[in-house]
Amino acid sequence: MTLFLRPLGATPRARRRALWGLALVLPNTLGLLIFFGIPVLMTFGLSLFEWNGIRPPVWNGLQNFERMFFEDPLFWRALGNTLRLALFVVPANMALALGVAVLLNQRLRGRNLFRTVYFLPVITSTVAASVVWTWIFQPSYGLIGIVPGLGEMQWLTRPDLVLIPIAVVTIWQRIGFDMILFLAGLQNVPRILHEAALIDGANNRQRFLRITLPMLSPTTFLVLILNVIAVFQVFDQIYIMTSRTTPGGVGGSATTLTFMLYQAGFVRSEFGYASAISLALFLIVLAITVVQIRLQRRWVYYESEAG
Amino acid sequence: MRKHMILAAAAVSALFGVVAVSAQDAAIEPVACAEPGQLTMWVWDENWATVIGEAINEWTTEYCPGAEVDLQVQPWNQYWDLLRTNIAGGDMPDVFNMSQDRFFFYNSNGALLDLQPYLDEAGIDTTVWGSGSVDPYRSPETNDLYAVPVNWDTIAIFYNKDMFDAAGLDYPTSDWTWDDFAAAAAALTTDDVYGAAVYSEYQAGYPNWIAATGTEPVVDAARTTCTLTEPGSIEALNFLKGLLDQGYMPTISDLGGASADDSFNAWLAGRVAMVSGGSWKLPAALEQADFGWDVVQLPRNPETNRTRSIVHSVGYVASASTDAPDLAANLIIFLGSDAGQRYFAEAGGVAPANPSQQQTWIDSFGDSDVNIQAFVDALQDSQGVTPFDEIWNTMNTELVVNIFDLGQSVEEATAAACDFINSQLPS
Repeated sequence: MTLFLRPLGATPRARRRALWGLALVLPNTLGLLIFFGIPVLMTFGLSLFEWNGIRPPVWNGLQNFERMFFEDPLFWRALGNTLRLALFVVPANMALALGVAVLLNQRLRGRNLFRTVYFLPVITSTVAASVVWTWIFQPSYGLIGIVPGLGEMQWLTRPDLVLIPIAVVTIWQRIGFDMILFLAGLQNVPRILHEAALIDGANNRQRFLRITLPMLSPTTFLVLILNVIAVFQVFDQIYIMTSRTTPGGVGGSATTLTFMLYQAGFVRSEFGYASAISLALFLIVLAITVVQIRLQRRWVYYESEAG
Repeated sequence: MRKHMILAAAAVSALFGVVAVSAQDAAIEPVACAEPGQLTMWVWDENWATVIGEAINEWTTEYCPGAEVDLQVQPWNQYWDLLRTNIAGGDMPDVFNMSQDRFFFYNSNGALLDLQPYLDEAGIDTTVWGSGSVDPYRSPETNDLYAVPVNWDTIAIFYNKDMFDAAGLDYPTSDWTWDDFAAAAAALTTDDVYGAAVYSEYQAGYPNWIAATGTEPVVDAARTTCTLTEPGSIEALNFLKGLLDQGYMPTISDLGGASADDSFNAWLAGRVAMVSGGSWKLPAALEQADFGWDVVQLPRNPETNRTRSIVHSVGYVASASTDAPDLAANLIIFLGSDAGQRYFAEAGGVAPANPSQQQTWIDSFGDSDVNIQAFVDALQDSQGVTPFDEIWNTMNTELVVNIFDLGQSVEEATAAACDFINSQLPS
């Protein structure tokens, strides 16, 4: 028996502690496996079949993938849309959230009120928010008309404009969450560093760029990864905001990979194809995350590793 | 008024091929159920849910005591997506509403219960409903009927009489032409009001105008080619686009959405003077319109002199995988029977499919002076529903958005749409 447990630790005591640790995470792990891990594996398996939900699945081999990469122009359009959305949303989100966090880290009257207000969109239902924002972006009588010139543009139908409302809603909804993470990171920047810098005569900008940002880099890294993953999963906004006119946008102009897989699965009942798309999406996000983790050595500064 | 009603009755009976409309002719009698149980039922129309709920009450009292039906309204926008999701999850409703263009997908995959044995057992001759109502619900191989029709509906123009009065125009009559329509739309357009909104969606929108040129809208009946690039389609779409370009019709962005309901709601709100609507919108108009209004047939194409409307029947179907097939079939037969359909007839909304209830339906409008003759007359030269599931998005919204919102030319938009549609048709 102890032979099997040897990998858990060198001494019986270490092994006991390890066992306790495993036992305590078991409920969560089990839940994750049953409700997440197994369905995910089944979905990946389903990508090799063809299934319309009514008749039993039919073996298809790699045909779904062939179709996706070589025959379906919508896949590349959706990938392009997803990347475009990510390139717009992620930097904007991080910059705005950092700005707000820095502002709300100072001693301000009503600071807690402001923090709450910025966090409220995070806990709002995406669906409800999307419905309201759809009406804001209506060309003739939406609130967007307050800004002169913006009121006439067809935000939700023009293929070149339709990603903008979606990006706006995504950013609006997410700033509060990133702000909280940044606030935690900011508060962990040791005060001594700032005080030392002040003594040496550094101004605010130098302190921000040379002390705050580097010390904040672990948080920035976390926010970056979470944001990229979240943008790749954007769905509610697209579904609600384009449903009144053309679902997925004219010519697939608002279709991201997630939306494309929804349409394939739940609108056209091509569950095998949808599973293939979801596997592709998973691998893409995984690849991007791995690249980001590898790159972190270059720019993320962990205080505990300092020499 | 009385003569008007008798004419309407005669026209309707012509549809059903019976010589005189009387209570004894073509009676559809329900039968008692063998064993009560529980059913889930889905519908997409809230008004219908009320009417069907009352019918179900009678069923559980008289014909199937102890049975329970969980009647759920799934909004039209999400109805078909939800149905697909539930099928894949193995959780189909036992009884639900079906439309003619979607029927093929469900039936070809064996998802629906064959109702023919139950209808034969109950002694119901399925030809009693008109061929336009039930033939699209038959299996192509066996000719068995898989659905019992709920209603028939056609399209007409709902117009705001107050606005016509203010503009000094005579009310339209059933022999008015496209040119008369354009003139009226021009005269009715003011700073706050658009003259018309008549292009949205397949059933209530542009295909009716295409059909009036003599072309089958979107795809031919045999479903082999896309007809959007034919001269008749181009003519109709260009006519409608012309009205939009001159400012007499709102764009989709103005309406807030590409659904026919968005156009209709704009009419109810007094922002549009004329709208094309189905007979299923009558309850909404009767309840919510706070201005004088009436209906008139769609205008005639100047060359062909035809006025045509899409005709459709919604059906009740049962899931093939239901636990209680006998019970589901029994409920469906009741809902299609004289007793069950009487509720629809008396509600004064959509016309029931049951031939013996037509007089009741016509009488239910006795007090109001709505010209329902327009809907009945539209049955004469009507166009059956032909498109199919896979192209729904393209021809129902994308084509419309391209032409009537993004300003694409009709030739370009229809060519692109036909490319896609032809790629989806079985080769």
